[in-house]
Amino acid sequence: MFNKLTSSEGGRGLLLISPPFFYALLLMAFPLGAIILFSFWTQDFMDVDTTFTLNNYRQIIEQPIYGALLQRSLFVSAVVTMVTVLLAFPIAYFVSFHVRPDRKSLWLFLITIPFWTSYLIRVFLWKVILGYNGVINTGLLNIGLIDEPLTFILYNINAVIITLAHAFAPFAILPIFVALEKIDRSLLEASRDLGENKVMTFFRVTLPLAMPGVVAAVLIVFIPTIGDYVTPELMGGAGGKLIANMIQTQFLALNNAPLGAALAVVAMLSVTAISLVFILLNRRWLRGRS
Amino acid sequence: MTALITLKGVNKYYGDYHALRDIDLTINTGEFFSLLGPSGCGKTTLLRTIAGLEDVSDGVVMIGGKDMRGVSANLRPTNMVFQSYAIFPHLSVAENVAFGLRKRTDLNKDDKAKMVEDALAMVGLSGYGKRASHALSGGQRQRVALARALILKPKVLLLDEPLSALDKKMREQMQVELIRLQRHVGITFILVTHDQEEALVMSDRIAVMFEGEIGQLADPETLYRRPNSRRVAEFIGKMNFLRADVLQVGDTIDVDVAGLGRVSVNAEQAPMALHKGAAVAGVRPETLAILFAGETTERKLIDGVVDEVVYYGDMTYYDVRIAGVDQPLNIAMKNLIGRPVLDVGTRTKVVWDERSLVILA
Amino acid sequence: MSLRIYAIAYLVFLYAPIVLLPIFAFNDATIIAFPLSGFTTDWFGELMTNRSLHTAVKNSLFIAVMTAVLSTLLGICAARAGAMYHFPVKAGIMGFIMLPLVLPEIIVAVSLLVVVVQIFDMGLSNWTIIAAHVLICTPFCIAILNGAFQNLDPSLEEAAMDLGESRFSAFRLVTLPLVMPGIISSMLIAFTISLDEFIIAFFLSGTSQTMPVYIWGLMRFPASLPVVMALGTIMVALSIILLTIAELLRRRGMARAGVKDKGGFL
Repeated sequence: MFNKLTSSEGGRGLLLISPPFFYALLLMAFPLGAIILFSFWTQDFMDVDTTFTLNNYRQIIEQPIYGALLQRSLFVSAVVTMVTVLLAFPIAYFVSFHVRPDRKSLWLFLITIPFWTSYLIRVFLWKVILGYNGVINTGLLNIGLIDEPLTFILYNINAVIITLAHAFAPFAILPIFVALEKIDRSLLEASRDLGENKVMTFFRVTLPLAMPGVVAAVLIVFIPTIGDYVTPELMGGAGGKLIANMIQTQFLALNNAPLGAALAVVAMLSVTAISLVFILLNRRWLRGRS
Repeated sequence: MTALITLKGVNKYYGDYHALRDIDLTINTGEFFSLLGPSGCGKTTLLRTIAGLEDVSDGVVMIGGKDMRGVSANLRPTNMVFQSYAIFPHLSVAENVAFGLRKRTDLNKDDKAKMVEDALAMVGLSGYGKRASHALSGGQRQRVALARALILKPKVLLLDEPLSALDKKMREQMQVELIRLQRHVGITFILVTHDQEEALVMSDRIAVMFEGEIGQLADPETLYRRPNSRRVAEFIGKMNFLRADVLQVGDTIDVDVAGLGRVSVNAEQAPMALHKGAAVAGVRPETLAILFAGETTERKLIDGVVDEVVYYGDMTYYDVRIAGVDQPLNIAMKNLIGRPVLDVGTRTKVVWDERSLVILA
Repeated sequence: MSLRIYAIAYLVFLYAPIVLLPIFAFNDATIIAFPLSGFTTDWFGELMTNRSLHTAVKNSLFIAVMTAVLSTLLGICAARAGAMYHFPVKAGIMGFIMLPLVLPEIIVAVSLLVVVVQIFDMGLSNWTIIAAHVLICTPFCIAILNGAFQNLDPSLEEAAMDLGESRFSAFRLVTLPLVMPGIISSMLIAFTISLDEFIIAFFLSGTSQTMPVYIWGLMRFPASLPVVMALGTIMVALSIILLTIAELLRRRGMARAGVKDKGGFL
């Protein structure tokens, strides 16, 4: 208990943790600081003008395209997160509560395998499934359910949402599963013993205890989806472009790195703010219940 | 008897937490020594400072006359049986036992194999060498841990709560085996335990520790019969405490004990220095008795009323209320032939003797 | 029961795109659509002769191997420190190191791009990709290695030291063999992530492309899509083999350490 608190052990721990710590500092914290700095500068043809200016941010506020893109991105991310987590919860619950313990790792393995196959190719294959001559349309045409191919399923937001929900599935399932596994099963029996039925036991015991996993799942899906430009590029069509596409364009096509940096900063801040609000609301909700 | 381990003024701090306070201790060659105390009292920390797994913040640890400052665990003449046994799960039983022989270049493969087999035989695991270590039962793991430590012929074997993971039957069996083993190998054993019975059964001497300090260091009988403080008395067995007033201190001690009256006791019955005035008198439940119908005694008697009865099979514990005392007296009676189990409320007589009293400040 | 049906439907959803891969990889038509026209192995043949693909694969393999080794080394440091030691602001430091797990990849990509190109005025190369991949893979490695290190009884190393080994040889003789399955599965997973990573590689690749960047390029030309399918099929097959090995090793490690299987990589 106290055996581990010695100062020399603390020193040894710090020594050991310093390589990954300094790596993260150097390659994450420092570059993040750099783009924040950069967002206050201006691109002047091939050079960067390092006078401090808020012009990039003014531009983002004044030109409606950026606001609209950001709004759409946050909306898509929110919907994707909701869909992904809602679809994932029953699976995590099923594997944790209804699968024999020795089969659990097989199920988890099955769930994780698709995630480890090439992301680009997976996105492309959704295009094949949802496309004009795709699997769904061909199938529906063949059985005579429709007369001509459906067009509302590709090159729009829906396609983006489906593809992202697929891509992030394991990220949502695993944290929820871990949280569910931690629940002491006798708590559920205690709830039943104290007079609650199965459904109320779920809402009064299982769900609140699984909440940390759900929160982790929400964050781990919501935050990275903002940064994805592959899926909107391939699936979104003209109206399905998102903020990440704009950042990419600013950096790689328009060569306006400072504006791109400002967009990245704004996107990051919005995501962080929303995440924090979500965490706070969740805490309040859990406290309100207890 | 020669001193093997000497600790002088040993202190240990973890940040602000003072885990060991001015420990002075001498442990002799060939002794079975126990460190006894409640959890968090520092007994394991003390053991680990002897092993070299913890540095002392202050003070000196000497083993065999050598100062152990700066000598790491691998270079000390001590070996340890860990609470979890720490059996290497990736090695077989024989590989575990032979682990510490790796650097012994003076031994060839056959010598080592012979030593391993002997060590396993010593702990009653002959023929287990090829077994995978993770398939062993708790008792077997402990024997492997013992063989692994003893094969190196350490000057001191350190045992950190070695029996706490075993069930009651196995524990009692291993207690006897450990005593036998210690006599057989003649090595100094230092045992850490929180189980007072285990310490009493196995040890030559016991140090009782509280909050980083040694409360009392004595042989088991002295510790039980003459505890030097209330907390030692309460930690080891049960004891009734009665308010007492010390009237005179000399070759004998005159004392007025609540409920029992004025008595004169031997100076040895006060293990620590006494002054006139308020004190407590302790008396063990089995040194009191209830006088059953038809029994006679020449000892002193006092009237009481049975307040509570707890039946244990071989024993019955009575709480008996006597005049002038708030707490009823706890009395342990063997259920001998002809003795009934009394009902609550029975009027009875309690037999007592001033020779069984301990007077504490 | 209805949960089981839902679970199976979910698996169908998860596997739907992957099942199509081999179908179109062996389909004798340049257009990726139904109905299928016939069986061919031409697309695989084309893969064998495509030199720019080979270069991309070589690049990707180099990057993935370096990433696997480096991020696993960092992961070992962090996991061991986390499991064995207490030190000041431990939770904060560990959280900071795990942060790349929730950082949008495009942010990692652009921030490193700015630092490398604009601030240090260095060229982009495979090493810039490796640096970024190590950053995003390390949290995964830590998550896997945590399992291995936390299952270790801390007194095992102490026992080895007590039996005469130095601190380093205690680590080598006891801890290392016990966490080896975790180390291998950590390397395999870092390798797989790096091999598949596109967003960062797209921003940070220099003159030489990685495999995902090359595939991205191919996607603009419909004629080359069946080749992508063939390539994808091979990659999926390789991923599954690697992951199966990783999973089997992880289980063996658990069994060796005498721990009950709690399931899952993470």
